[in-house]
Amino acid sequence: MQHSIRRYGKNVKLSGLSFGAEAAFHLILGLFSIACVVPFIFVIIISFSAESSLRTVGFSFMPNLWSVESYQYVFRWGDQLWRSYFNSFFITAAGTVISVLICILYSYSLFRRDFKLRKFFTFLSFITMMFGGGLVPTYMVCKNILGLNDNYAAMIVPLLVSPFLFIVMRTFFSSTVPEALIESAAIDGSGEYRTLFQIIVPISKPGIATVALLNALAYWNEWFIAMLYIRSAKYIPLQYLLMKMQNQVDFLAKNSALIGAEAANIVASTPKENLRMALVVFIVAPIACAYPFFQRYIVSGLTIGSVKG
Amino acid sequence: MKRGLALTLALALLLVSGLGAATFAVAEDDFSQEVTIKWMLEGSNVTDDTAVIEAVNAYLKEKINAKLQVIWGTWGDFDQNVVNSINGGDDIDIYFTCSWTSNEYSAYANKGAYVRLDDPENNLLEQYAPGLFDVLPAVLADAAAVEGADGVGVYGIPGYKEVAQEYTWDINTPLLEELGYTVDDIGSYYDLGPILQKAKELKGADFYPLNIEGGVLVRIALNADVVDSNLVLVYPFDPEHPSQSGTEIKSLLELPEFAEFAKKTREYYLAGYINPVMATADAASSARTDAQLTGQYLIGTQVYSPGYDAQASQERGFQVTFKPTHKPIISTTSARGAMMAISTSSKNPERALAFLNLLNTDPTLFTLIAYGVEGVHYNLTDDGKVEFTDKRADYQPWRNGLGNITQLPLTVDDDPQIWEKFAEFNDAEGVPILGFALNQEPIQNEMAALANISKEYLDGLCVGVVDPDVVLPEAIEKLKANGIDKVVAEANAQVQAFLDAKGE
Amino acid sequence: MTAPQQVSRPSAGISSAQIKKLIALTSMALPGAIWLILLRYLPMFGIVIAFKDYRIYTKAPSLINNILHSKWVGFKNFTFLFTTTDSLRMIRNTVGFNLLWIVLIMAFAVFLAILLAELPRKRIAKTYQTMMFFPYFLSWVVVSYFVFAFLSPDKGLITVAQKNAGLMPTNWYNDPRPWPFILTIANLWKNTGYSSILYLATITGIDATQYEASRIDGANRWQQVRYVTLPHLRPMIMILLIMNLGKIINADFGLFYSVPMNSGRLFSVTQVIDTYVYRALINTGNVGMSTAAGLFQNVVGFVFLMGSNAIVRKVDPENSLF
Repeated sequence: MQHSIRRYGKNVKLSGLSFGAEAAFHLILGLFSIACVVPFIFVIIISFSAESSLRTVGFSFMPNLWSVESYQYVFRWGDQLWRSYFNSFFITAAGTVISVLICILYSYSLFRRDFKLRKFFTFLSFITMMFGGGLVPTYMVCKNILGLNDNYAAMIVPLLVSPFLFIVMRTFFSSTVPEALIESAAIDGSGEYRTLFQIIVPISKPGIATVALLNALAYWNEWFIAMLYIRSAKYIPLQYLLMKMQNQVDFLAKNSALIGAEAANIVASTPKENLRMALVVFIVAPIACAYPFFQRYIVSGLTIGSVKG
Repeated sequence: MKRGLALTLALALLLVSGLGAATFAVAEDDFSQEVTIKWMLEGSNVTDDTAVIEAVNAYLKEKINAKLQVIWGTWGDFDQNVVNSINGGDDIDIYFTCSWTSNEYSAYANKGAYVRLDDPENNLLEQYAPGLFDVLPAVLADAAAVEGADGVGVYGIPGYKEVAQEYTWDINTPLLEELGYTVDDIGSYYDLGPILQKAKELKGADFYPLNIEGGVLVRIALNADVVDSNLVLVYPFDPEHPSQSGTEIKSLLELPEFAEFAKKTREYYLAGYINPVMATADAASSARTDAQLTGQYLIGTQVYSPGYDAQASQERGFQVTFKPTHKPIISTTSARGAMMAISTSSKNPERALAFLNLLNTDPTLFTLIAYGVEGVHYNLTDDGKVEFTDKRADYQPWRNGLGNITQLPLTVDDDPQIWEKFAEFNDAEGVPILGFALNQEPIQNEMAALANISKEYLDGLCVGVVDPDVVLPEAIEKLKANGIDKVVAEANAQVQAFLDAKGE
Repeated sequence: MTAPQQVSRPSAGISSAQIKKLIALTSMALPGAIWLILLRYLPMFGIVIAFKDYRIYTKAPSLINNILHSKWVGFKNFTFLFTTTDSLRMIRNTVGFNLLWIVLIMAFAVFLAILLAELPRKRIAKTYQTMMFFPYFLSWVVVSYFVFAFLSPDKGLITVAQKNAGLMPTNWYNDPRPWPFILTIANLWKNTGYSSILYLATITGIDATQYEASRIDGANRWQQVRYVTLPHLRPMIMILLIMNLGKIINADFGLFYSVPMNSGRLFSVTQVIDTYVYRALINTGNVGMSTAAGLFQNVVGFVFLMGSNAIVRKVDPENSLF
């Protein structure tokens, strides 16, 4: 922190950029930044466009008729929408808390150089980054041995551990936590758990926030797991609701001629594009609202994580 | 570290052995113990089944001492999930299966996924579902016989929906008449040019008179039936006398008729008769539905079923006429359009079969499952017709995928003569190779490659966005290089073996 | 927890405090380890499916029995990846795009990170970061809708603009030529912001005295970047490089399947190993073949990761992954 303050302090300003260079920088960064959010704004506009407008002027930043009809349609699902919203929030919150806890514990043990099994546990998690048993065996183990079948646990447990985040978290610890701190705590008679939770965790907040954010996103965006293990509508998360529609559209595009007589009715009942766009807005909006708060931590977290010595 | 690994392994083995616990079916079932039947379905739109399941369970308790648990698979997801379930040995008792999903009936009967129902050793059908095949058309029973893991026999109960199949033009009649034509003027695909041109002139540049689905259009133009769902192979049939069709399976893209079709389609496309969006299958359905509902088309493609004209006309608010392009045919695809098979991992195959028997022969049960609970999901009008309530939105199984739909009462929207028309429609001619399904196992590497090639070229060629003079030779060359000749030869050898066995 | 104090025995070499520590730290690793064993290691027995003609054992179907009673077929399940004339094309697309994007994203992200670090007004820099980071959080399905909004053949913004300008509209989903660029733009758009923030974090961690020293030596702005910033970015670049090379034969399925709307005409550009396998097996659900394809990708990835790590270790020992 000290360093970055100085770096960003007066010293830098003295040798400041020329006006032209600064303007060029702003131009490049500004354009790219705007490009990053414009598509989302576009999708919001489309979701508020009337269908007649879509038919005449297509997808446009300036629809000739605004409308909330696609949202009305979405709201007509009523219960299912809100239940899915709740499910997504619940899964994300519960999953993030538990996975962060596991991550802190595991990576802390990896970080401790004096831990005799350190190599073993590092190896244990590393191998799983490269090899897996495939879909069907994993599915059977989760379903039949672990009972991950049509319940909230089925959407939380499969994403609890990420070896990549173990590496990230361990790196944070090793760059922020002086070993002397642990030694002195040990001399004071503090147990390992007390040291971790009362001394290490409070100074690692930025790192934890980073891992929490990445975990939360993984949970929020997950649909495949839900497709595998969730059967009843009451547990369906929002992202999967969108994917279900997508899967349905794909499937019917391919097979409608084989389904027989009812196919045309089924195809006709498939949600239209602007409705799907509205659903995209529903999915993205919470991320867009929540993540600037996280981001404050994540940037400083990454910053601290990489400061040497 | 070594000890850690050993421990891990020991633990793994322990758990794995638990996973492998054998499940042997009991030979006899006297219905004295209550069991739960798990049933996995396709195409459902069900968010709340509590009321229905409660009523079904009360009914089943009395009849066969069983409870029902339904896994309401949806379009697209069912395909993914059913394969995991079957391969992993899930405890599902009854699976939906058919000729066109990923758990394709003949392939999975062959892999050992389904119980043989007419096994001479225990003949389950005779014991637990004696009258079942009597209520179904004989042709369905014939088509249900397949070579499975336990020999040639019946591995699934066919659903009784429309048994025949018929492709049809879907005509915007008021517009056609406005142009000065009648439905009789719509004939061969190749002669539509002048009519389409007139429509285009009248309605302007943004109007696309042909509202088609490429995959259906090609089957209409060529009178061809599906052999594999990627349309690598097709079976050309005789449109006037289906039962006198040939017995040869052909490579679709290599047919001379296909070249002609592609050329014509390209011509129509360049003339602006076909919306370019139709070539992007995933985006096309929404545009197609739009055009139908707003009447912004002249001629479309559909798969016909009795009573659909009236329903479509009502839905779209103008008169829609369906003009079939051939006589209805009964093929393997249509006869195995929806089936129920009992899983070999079922602990109670006898009870499952008893349930299927009841489902297909007991109107009370079938109506309950298909339409929901009376007074909740529907009300009966004075003349005994079904009128759905708002609650129906929470409970919409795919009716035609359930079983014998002829047991159902009429709904207020149904054509009063629907079941007569239905019977008439189903009284169609079967093709000579009815009951044949391609076994892809000997040619799986080739089929893997050809499926991708077919997907690469067919969408574009069937809608006309690409120039067939350039693309078709390229596609054919690629098919050849990836073993299409071997595949066609194998398929026809299988057909021959099938016909020989049938002749005996 | 209140175990009686024991006098450490020098002969054993381990004190009771050390044992306590070992137990405590092991118990910390345990929840993660148990998860890894149950959800990752336990299913690994399924790898043998890749070498079997997987069938269902009708007498007592269960995953284990099915596997045990299926015949061994050697490498037969792998052959479908190599017997098609499309093999080269899909491997080229997979590896080629990956290599291109590893380089492009790295260059672009480093460039943006340096610009951000040089900006004197931190508040604006932070706003830029926030906006640049945003696309990383979206799934490819969502992104495919964004792309579709621009390129839809009948309603797309660009298509309609072309029509209004009296031009023949491009049928985007049926013309493979622009797709290398579209895919590249989509991928850069989604992933650059995230990488650039990783690099920015490293830059802000550089000791300011190094810049001061270089300035006293007469270095100008550009020379500072060249001789101070870039060398400090090297470890991060190396780690990301090794990790990415480990995934060189795995394509981002959503990017190649959802974003081009699964359009056949684009296969010359969009067909990658993952999509090929998906399309080849979607109708049959052949478990043996899909497991084989996954195993092939894992092994190649493992070789690449170990190889690139070994090379890095040789030329730049400090920056290898392990």
